[in-house]
Amino acid sequence: MRYSPSFARSSGLIPVLVVLAVLALVPLLSSSMYLRHLLVLAFVFGIVASSWDLSLGYGGLFNFAHVALFTIGTYAFGLVGQTLGLSPWLGIAFAGVAAGLVAALITLPILRLSGIYIILVTIAASQVLYQIIISQSDITGGTSGMVSLPALELFGYRFNRGGKVGYYYLALLMLVASTIILYKITRSRFGRAIVAMRDHKYYAISRGMSETRTRLFTLTVSAALSGVAGGFYGSYMRVASPDNFGLGLLGLLLSMLLLGGAGTIWGPILAAFFVTMVSEVFAAYGAWRNIIMSLLLIVILIFYPGGLWALLQTLREALDVARSQATARLRRRFGLGQREAMTGAHETMVATRHGRIAVADTGGDKPALLLIHGNSSAKEVFANQFKALRDRYRVISFDLPGHGVSDNADPEKDYSVEAFADVAEDVLKALSAANPFVFGWSLGGYIAIELAARDYPVRALAVSGTPPLRVVPEDVGRAYDATSHFVLASKTFLSPAESRDFAASTTGPKTAETIHLHRAVRRTDGRARAYTLGKLQIVDWPRQMRFLRSAAVPFAILNGSNDPFLNHQYFRDLKLEQWTGEPDDIQDGKHAPFLLKPAIFNEKLVAFLRAAETTSRHGADVVA
Amino acid sequence: MTLETLNLILLGGIVLGALYALMATGLALVWTTLGIFNFAHGTFIALGAYIAWQIASTEASGAGLLAGAGISIIGMFVIGMFVYYLLIKPFERNPDIVVKSVITTLAGATILENVINLVWGPRNKQLSPLLGGDMSLLGITISRNEMAVVALALVILAALGVFLQRAPLGRAMRAVAQNREAAQLMGIDVERLYAIAFGLSAALAALAGILIGSIRFMNPSMGSDPLMKALIVVIFGGIARFTGPIYAAFIVGLLEAVMTYLVGLYWSPTVLFAIMIVVLVAKPEGLFGRYRKSV
Repeated sequence: MRYSPSFARSSGLIPVLVVLAVLALVPLLSSSMYLRHLLVLAFVFGIVASSWDLSLGYGGLFNFAHVALFTIGTYAFGLVGQTLGLSPWLGIAFAGVAAGLVAALITLPILRLSGIYIILVTIAASQVLYQIIISQSDITGGTSGMVSLPALELFGYRFNRGGKVGYYYLALLMLVASTIILYKITRSRFGRAIVAMRDHKYYAISRGMSETRTRLFTLTVSAALSGVAGGFYGSYMRVASPDNFGLGLLGLLLSMLLLGGAGTIWGPILAAFFVTMVSEVFAAYGAWRNIIMSLLLIVILIFYPGGLWALLQTLREALDVARSQATARLRRRFGLGQREAMTGAHETMVATRHGRIAVADTGGDKPALLLIHGNSSAKEVFANQFKALRDRYRVISFDLPGHGVSDNADPEKDYSVEAFADVAEDVLKALSAANPFVFGWSLGGYIAIELAARDYPVRALAVSGTPPLRVVPEDVGRAYDATSHFVLASKTFLSPAESRDFAASTTGPKTAETIHLHRAVRRTDGRARAYTLGKLQIVDWPRQMRFLRSAAVPFAILNGSNDPFLNHQYFRDLKLEQWTGEPDDIQDGKHAPFLLKPAIFNEKLVAFLRAAETTSRHGADVVA
Repeated sequence: MTLETLNLILLGGIVLGALYALMATGLALVWTTLGIFNFAHGTFIALGAYIAWQIASTEASGAGLLAGAGISIIGMFVIGMFVYYLLIKPFERNPDIVVKSVITTLAGATILENVINLVWGPRNKQLSPLLGGDMSLLGITISRNEMAVVALALVILAALGVFLQRAPLGRAMRAVAQNREAAQLMGIDVERLYAIAFGLSAALAALAGILIGSIRFMNPSMGSDPLMKALIVVIFGGIARFTGPIYAAFIVGLLEAVMTYLVGLYWSPTVLFAIMIVVLVAKPEGLFGRYRKSV
């Protein structure tokens, strides 16, 4: 199952655009040349560190010659621009080519090696490069390097004039271009081959990938990007220094890569800014600066092994939890009338073992019918049932923890099918609604089955969009059609586009009728999705299946005939004893037949419940 | 080339080889037991030399070379253990410990090097020689100090060999290197052994630093060049046996001396690194290696 939406649909779009806009405005807002200089360095290091991430993070190839290849780019620029006297633009292009070619040469000896041996050979290779460079002192200037390299010029505009603004924008442009290239590569066939080769080398080879080709491609491309950055660096600094072959620059860039988080592309770029700026803060401390920076690096790596990127994700989660909780509070206070109008039921808050839960209840002493909603939805999804069935039943529904206007809860303890079944028990107990009929939709279906399977007295059980499972995760693959939107069900952070997709494929496109449900997806605590689905494996599925096979309680499956998530054959193959024998699909019901085809659905549900009433009365007689 | 030049080259190579052997053995000790490469080893060499200078030199405490060497070696053993607990142990169960330990040891090297710079300053210093005067051997005159360095290095390496082969602690170290889990099941405290291995490696580095300091000048970055050489030596010799890096050290030392004579100072490192790459490609386990690793 592959889910790779375009960048425009991902949640990274807005932050990236904001950051780019701010960076583009910096030269207009601040006349500080020094700030611009630092940012140019951060851009260049960002390119080098993120392109290194392709081979080191994604490929697991510890190519420690990467920084030497950057320096090779600088020298290649000097060679073309100064020694040969050609256009410096050609020099930058040649820098990339040269670095790529040298990288291909270095790849040859490490083709058969792995792990620490690659580190040692590549360090040795960069020492060889260093020695070759300084030995050719008549061309390269030996240990003192090449100086006064040519500056860039375009249509008569000289880049090193006017406060070097031209260099600033060019560097920013190059960072954007390199990031786009890396982003595209990591999501392409080759990108997946690189990761596959890192994680399961022999499996990848047996599936027809070539290790040689993958390694050659990874190292050459990442070196070429780094080499172009080196060429630019040469034209900007106007020197090519052999010192950059040493462990100093290597350590700096490696610290950016690991501080940012390997295998993320974005992390190293972030860390390039962070390290450049922070090390500037300590610039006045002389030798203490290196000590402080090194200590900081060690401390961050010990306490945040995932690096800044992981830290950012933690912050983002905290922010998202606060946002969704605030939304729930706000809506609880101001949207009550609207919600009660939708269901026509009275809304109350009930304290349960897993937090305070919002419950809608039509009341009265008719037989109770509990409706349980699905993942990232809300109780109002059953508005039609509330209105149509209230004359016959006491209709009850509640918002799951982390959903609707219920409170967010502790993800470890409160977000699981079992905890949700506890909530259902507590709600029924608080309302003193004994012996209910239970209907569950999608995830709610599993909660309903779980509730009944733990011998909670239930008169009848109906589910929709819920394939009963025997073993997880194997049956998940069999029971569901792996559409890309299915992945969203367990994704912590949904971008606006993604939550629209999810709401549309579970309920329907955004209309006046479904807008409430679209909002419910935005409100849902992302951890509820991730933890509940993540913990599906620890649900006692065999017990649920034993319970369903025992047919102790009347059971019905009311799917939409064209449910996009389900494999309908799976239901038939289960051969469960149920109401109409065969699954009774509702024409054009999609994933939410009760919402899209309420009339037919209600008719069928009532017919089932009535049939169940007679059998269960019969069953009660037998027990008596 | 006269016989005299040849002898001069050979003797120079042997002195280099003895120093490389000390450094490479320390490096290999950590590599085999912990499976990581310690980039702070070069700085250990410098720090060891500076501590010895602080105690021994008449410009500082003036307690004599023997006291300086003793305190430096013991001190570096403790510092090595400390470095292990601070820089390596937190990442022990990490899947990417190999690359993480590269950056933490590099960071550790940066810290130590800057500390040396802050405490002792960047100016060159020198330790007093072990023995004064010259002696004549095979028709050439060499300093008695250099001979003493070679002899001392060989004695220490032999003692280390006996320790690893015979002493319970040394045998435990080899056991951990061969099979960590099995060693742990036999009741060996692996963590403590790791710390001791690191400390021992740092103590060897200190000794190497003192010997270098007695024949050359010392400065805060005096360890970086020997570190690269030790890297070549370890790869060259492989880590399958304790003796592998020692043979390789002498081969590299002699090669370097010959190369310097034949192709000049600039090209000899290039040739050495190129030879190393060829060796690694043809025989990743080293010239004297087998596939199984041990100390």
